[in-house]
Amino acid sequence: MNAAQWLVRALEAEGVDTLFGYPGGAIMPFYDALYGSALKHILVRHEQGAAFAANGYARASGKVGVCVATSGPGATNLVTGIADAMFDSVPMVAITGQVPTHLMGTDAFQEVDVFGMTLPVVKHSFLVRSVDELPQAVGEAFRLARSGRPGPVLIDLPKNVQTVDATHLPAHAPAATDAVPQPQTHTLRAALELLSKARRPLAYAGGGIALADAVAEFRTFVEATEIPAVLTLRGIGALPATHPLNLGMLGMHGTQAANLAVQECDALVVIGARFDDRATGKLSEFAPHAKVIHLDLDAAEIGKLRAAEVGVRGDLRSSLDLLATVRPDCAHWREHCLDNKRRLGFRYDAPGPGVYAPALLKRLSQRVPAAIVSCDVGQHQMWVAQHWQFNDPRKHLTSGSLGAMGFGLPAAMGAQLAMPDAQVICVSGDGSFMMNVQELATLVRYRLPVKIVLLDNQRLGMVRQWQELFFAGRYSETDLSDNPDFAALARAFGVEAMFVDCAADVNDALDRLLASDGPALLHVAIDAMANVWPLVPPNRNNAQMLLDPQTLEMEDADAALPT
Amino acid sequence: MPRYQLDLTLRRAEGALGRVIGTAERRGFRPLSVDGETREDGDRWYLRLSVEGERSAEFLTAQLEKLYDCLAVEAMPCP
Repeated sequence: MNAAQWLVRALEAEGVDTLFGYPGGAIMPFYDALYGSALKHILVRHEQGAAFAANGYARASGKVGVCVATSGPGATNLVTGIADAMFDSVPMVAITGQVPTHLMGTDAFQEVDVFGMTLPVVKHSFLVRSVDELPQAVGEAFRLARSGRPGPVLIDLPKNVQTVDATHLPAHAPAATDAVPQPQTHTLRAALELLSKARRPLAYAGGGIALADAVAEFRTFVEATEIPAVLTLRGIGALPATHPLNLGMLGMHGTQAANLAVQECDALVVIGARFDDRATGKLSEFAPHAKVIHLDLDAAEIGKLRAAEVGVRGDLRSSLDLLATVRPDCAHWREHCLDNKRRLGFRYDAPGPGVYAPALLKRLSQRVPAAIVSCDVGQHQMWVAQHWQFNDPRKHLTSGSLGAMGFGLPAAMGAQLAMPDAQVICVSGDGSFMMNVQELATLVRYRLPVKIVLLDNQRLGMVRQWQELFFAGRYSETDLSDNPDFAALARAFGVEAMFVDCAADVNDALDRLLASDGPALLHVAIDAMANVWPLVPPNRNNAQMLLDPQTLEMEDADAALPT
Repeated sequence: MPRYQLDLTLRRAEGALGRVIGTAERRGFRPLSVDGETREDGDRWYLRLSVEGERSAEFLTAQLEKLYDCLAVEAMPCP
């Protein structure tokens, strides 16, 4: 047994069933060891697709995603997907081949120092220079990836190390995941006291809730205390979209009700969130009246951007269980927030015969409420966040921190492989889709029944929107009107495809999309000038939202949803 | 600009020094001096790093403590 064969067995022992990759010279011994193994290797068509697919697999399943590439360009092509995992706290192990140790440092063919290159975007990394280092590297890689705040770990493995004899190595035994530290009693007591005195309390919930498996405890906390909640992009789903106390997403494209509540609250309970600039707007004016209670597993996030009156580091479940015992006197405030929510909701009655993307997305979410949705990045990503009716944060796969275009399709593939029986929808835009369009071939090869909704405005829509609003309409390099015929392109790969450009035909188009057996694409033509509203301009606070000029207050926003 | 002295104990692992100095720089601190050594045990780096930056020493310490190779870090204002 050589080291590559030992590694394959170790991956099996770690519970890996699927890995995503692309072979090449320096990783050939590993691929030779894979031949005939029980591991299911998904051959992507670009290494970035492998990293995003492993990322989507991990996000949907909660398990460690694994991707593999060769040295040099194979390794560099993984980097965006690794960085995305780092900044969205996704457990991943990336394995890269490396040139033989005697050639390292000589500028050899396909030599790149991927270990050095990825230092800022990994939770940790190992360069395995001898076979005897392999057991510890593999064990620690998986332990670190899934322990605490999850993240990606790189194992760089020179080709000659892969081929040496490993019969003397012990069989791999997975390390236990680290225990989660419990919050300190005195910090919890301080949080209880602060929250009990609040008259305008608000919960600000982030992606850490799902990472901590604390969704049930968070929902209990909200329902027991009757405190309204706002959600970050990565927190969406922690509270059902239809929950009465869910005011929606906060921040740059947040709801009016959420952003106003943040600016008016007197106590902000921050749960697994990190004051990201897209959530806070102008930080110095964010929640200006609030005392902050910050609950997080990662001590480095507490006080990083906003000082907390009370910081509670540790297991969110324990913290939320205790805070759920508070009964703040806030009925008037709650009614105020809910009244804003009723009056200032989204409208779906866009004029004209064209397809209105928010209405399509809300309609589709009602058709497939249990679906996993993988988005790309841009306007469509924000429309999904605003209008899809999520009930589970693990069903919303979005490149939140890195904002990596090209994420959506390969992440959807990974999610479908992790959850074979789930309905997986990829919502993409015409800019993003072209960044990893080659993965249509992977969908077809493995018959993955991902349904793609491609919202095509023939523009880099979000950049175009900013050019319209903040750059005097100077549309620099955002015109994509020479896009290919996406339906024809999909069919060329063997993907069933259909097209819709009229609101009246949307329901029939969705019927056909969802009725298809295998992978399918719905190409949706939308207005090139459509914008995402509300929008908090740069260097403004969250109350200074720009609103859709066509929006008027209404009594019941949902009543406007076309039937 | 505030200056801090950091005393660090690191695993003597490949990349450990790069991770520490890189983290300091990426988080907004400019290294002023670096002094380090390994001792008899051979499996630790003992590093003294002086930096300057507008952010707090606590901010940097919290980030360094997250590094797998960083076993201990203590920060104090530069004398």
